[in-house]
Order: sequence, then structure tokens, then C-alpha cells
Amino acid sequence: MNRTGFTTTIPLEVLLAADRIPVDLNNLFITGGKGLELVEDAEACGFPRNTCSWIKGIYAAVMESGIREMVAVTEGDCSNTRALMEVLSLGGIRVIPFAYPHDRSVVALTEQIERLMGAFGVGWDAVNRAGERLESIREKIREVDRLTWEENLVSGAENHCFQVSSSDMNSFPDRFEAEIDRFMAEARSREPFRDRIRLAYIGVPPIIEGLYPFLESHGARVVFNETQRQFSMPYGIHDLVERYRAYTYPYDIFFRLADIERELEKRRIDGVIHYVQSFCFRQIEDMIVRRRLSLPVLTLEGDKPGPLDARTAIRIESFLELVGGMK
Amino acid sequence: MRIGIDLGSRKVKFALVSAGSVIRLETFDTISFYRNFGRMKGDDLTFDLAATGLFSPAEISGSSIVATGYGRNTLHLKSVRVISEIRAHTAGALFQTGLRDFTLLDMGGQDTKVALIRDASLRDFVMNDKCAASSGRYLENMAAVLEVGLEELSSHWENPVRLDATCGIFGESELIGQIVRGYPVARLCAGVNRTLVKRVVPMLRRFPSEKIVLTGGVARNGALVRLLEEEGYVVTVPENPQHNGAIGCAVISG
Repeated sequence: MNRTGFTTTIPLEVLLAADRIPVDLNNLFITGGKGLELVEDAEACGFPRNTCSWIKGIYAAVMESGIREMVAVTEGDCSNTRALMEVLSLGGIRVIPFAYPHDRSVVALTEQIERLMGAFGVGWDAVNRAGERLESIREKIREVDRLTWEENLVSGAENHCFQVSSSDMNSFPDRFEAEIDRFMAEARSREPFRDRIRLAYIGVPPIIEGLYPFLESHGARVVFNETQRQFSMPYGIHDLVERYRAYTYPYDIFFRLADIERELEKRRIDGVIHYVQSFCFRQIEDMIVRRRLSLPVLTLEGDKPGPLDARTAIRIESFLELVGGMK
Repeated sequence: MRIGIDLGSRKVKFALVSAGSVIRLETFDTISFYRNFGRMKGDDLTFDLAATGLFSPAEISGSSIVATGYGRNTLHLKSVRVISEIRAHTAGALFQTGLRDFTLLDMGGQDTKVALIRDASLRDFVMNDKCAASSGRYLENMAAVLEVGLEELSSHWENPVRLDATCGIFGESELIGQIVRGYPVARLCAGVNRTLVKRVVPMLRRFPSEKIVLTGGVARNGALVRLLEEEGYVVTVPENPQHNGAIGCAVISG
């Protein structure tokens, strides 16, 4: 089977129906253990220093991995992906564009999904069958999430890990499902966490390491990972097009905020960490996030991969004191 | 008696407080401080407080010690309590000014912190991130380029020359460009001070408060105070702005 990469979450059902091995290129870049090296490789190739490290990391990871086919999300994620797509296609990689329509139009999204199906030569029957398979795994991921916020048995990092992996099901859905089963059995036998502070993490997944354990060492646990949860298509919607219309991440900030506000309330959140990537358009949206949310918000900016730095640690400690003092 | 220690990026500050009064304040350069009094203990850098000679053995043994700043976790002394910087600075500003509602603007060697204080409690804060142009270190660099002392640099605020570089290093060459164009030193100094204001005003505007308590080493820059006042702020500089964090450590309750 061929490996097919993608730049952010896409209708995974299509790749599975086409018997491809799905590879979320972000995960490939960040979990390989040499993220910083990849970013530096891309900069040496000519990527500007002041562009997003995820783009640079994906570029270098693709070049290094030997992946020859990928789906690039050109709308609904950052526009840098377009240039990334062009640069990679110059290197002989087959790049298939996919666009989430900004207005969430049913017609436009259906057309995009059908184009993707066309590119991979699969029809609706096969795609819907793949959808049923994936939904059964996603249901288990939803349970991991529930065990996190409702039963307090799962750490913020574990919650992050399982949800963020759902974009490509760690490339092998059966193996991933077995891993979830094992994890849940173990987690259910644990003593619940007794955190002082319940946090939400919103924004793209962090490029920095060690954030969640650091928070937990200060009595604060993330019980809501916004975007990671979105990757797992959390609403249990049967219809494929509707499933990807309900997925908030590629659409406007107000649509995202409606989901965020609902979950903050439901999960009894005390404070919000808004993570933004350096040079990302979502840094601008931080203004809106701060204006709309009534809870304390700490905005963290990450640039390159690596451990949590001393400055960020100081800001987090101060934020936790602030949140703790307001409880 | 209480000893407060603020281990900053440029200076290490000490405060000894007794019965609600500041008894003694001391300052060291951070690098020479660690060079002279620091040592490695396993993988940890520690320092010998007694060897500094700042405090008598009786003062050290008879005081509760609280520390903050970048180096706070290097302090492996028995019974030293470590607190966050924002907490230390808030406590220091409340103690030094007696005010209860204000925006704290702390400008140190690298960090600029802006904190909203309401009813004597911390309500929200922002800090500079990724970039330390507009910090104390930046002022030191610019003074060196202009070949003036920090005092001279800090005394000019009228008719600032325009300086726009985002980067503190490119800022130096931009400043040299303005020197070559023949502007007088006073206007060049004012221009440097104006860049500080341009950097901090967006942070200050996050919070609805006209009353500012300005602390940190940069608070000794009178031109900055003047320029902030021109922006409509009412600025209070406490008696010991650079020792505000150390004093906060020494007076914090609990």
C-alpha cells in the first residue's frame, strides 16, 4: 500500500477507501524526535526564518520520508500551504489540493470531497464503509475524552495524544484501536486526578514539548484540547459531508468559539491557554478570543520545536497563580 | 526579619525588610554574581548567600527568605520559598505605593510585564514574548551606540527622531544612520526613549487603567515617564523601582 501524506485533517475516509496508508505530515514531523533539525533543513533549503515552523517541518519531513503523494489543504488552513504544495510538486511529488469552503456550503464541500474521491478513484459506497469503520474508533476516542473531563482518569497529555493521532489513526487504524482499548482498560483502574485547576487548551497543537506535564506538576490539568478533539470528529455524525461541516477548525473563528464556549461550560474550566504559532494568521484571532471569552486567557506563542523554555514557564506559573487566586 | 531576592537577567537584587520597613537594598551584576558566588552541585547551579557578605549570619538565620526571578530555582538553600515574578512585583508595588487600583508596568533587563491590579489583587497580566527590544538591555545597547551614559540617555524626550526597526540589533544600525544625518544627541536619545513607549503602549491598552506604577530598572528613565504622561497616563514611580521584586518577596504574606 502507498503512503499518502496530508497537511492537516482531511476526510480520512477517502484515503482509507482507496487503501492508502494515511500519514498526517504534522505528526510525522513532530514525533520523529528531530523536529528542530527538520526546520533547520528547510531553512537551509531557502524557507524564510519568519514563516511557520509547521510548514518548514512538513516540507523537510516529506523530503526525508520518501512520501511521493500527498493531499494539501489549501483553504481552511494557512495559505502558506499553497506555496508548500508548489515547492513539493516541483520535487516530483504528486500533490492533490483540497479546500474547505469558508462558508461551509454543503454543495461546495460535497464537490471538494467528490474531487478528492475522483483523485483516488473511489466511490461513495467504499467511502461510507470506511466511514463506519472510522466512526467506531472515533467513538472510543470520545470515551477517552469523557474519561478525561468527567471522570478525571486521563492526563492532559494522554488526551492530547489520542485525539491528535485520530487525524490519521496513527496510519494503522486496527493497531490504533487496540492501543486505545488497552489504554482505556488501564485508565479505568486508576485513582482520579485531584487537580486544583481545570484548564482548556485551544488553538493548534503545541510545537513545544513538556507543556502538559509542566502544568500538571503545578496542580493544573488540561481537560479540554480543542483542536485535537476536533480532529476526532467528535459529534458522531453519520453523514460524511455533515461530519466535515461540523468540524470547526477549518471554518471561521466564531464557529470555533461556539464549540469552545459550550465545552468550557460543560467541562467546568477555570482558565484557558490559547496557543498560537509564530507567524500564523491565528495570532490575529487571539484578539477575538480574548474579547469573547470571559475566563482568564493566557496566550502562548510557540516558534520552533523543543522543550518548554524558561520564559514560557514563568508566564504559565504566573497565570496559574492568577487562575488559582480567582477560584 | 525577611530577605527578598530577585534573580534577574541583568541584576540580582536583595532586600532586607524588618517590621514593615526596608532596612537594606543591594544589587549585583548577574554574571559576576554567579561567577563569584555560584557553584555547581550535581547538575544544579547553587549559590552561597553567606559568602556574599550582604547579611550577617544572624540576619540569615533569623530571616525568612523568599526568592523570585529567572534564577529562583537555582537557590537550593534550606527554607527558601520561591514565588513567581508577577506575584513578587505585585506585592512590591502594593507595599511601595499604598495604591490598590492601578496597572503595573515592570520593565527589567529582558522582560516587560504589564499587570492589572484591582482592589489590591492581580486580575490579569501580559508579558513581552519572543522579543526583548524595549527592555533594559536594549537601552544599554543604544546608550553604547550613542556613546552616552544611561543617565544622559534617560534625560531626553523632546523632538524624538524617528526609529522604526523591529529588531533591536537593526535598531542600532538605524540609529547610526540617524547619527550620520546629523541629528543632535538629545533628539537621538529621545528617539530611543520613544521606541520604548511605542512597544509598551499596545500592552498597556489591554487594560482600562490610566494609573500606572512603573517599576524595574527602566523606571529610572525619566524621559520614559514623561513620554508615557504625554500618552495620557498618570505615572507613579516608587522609591526603589529596581528593587520592587526583591521588596515584594520580602513583604509577601503567607
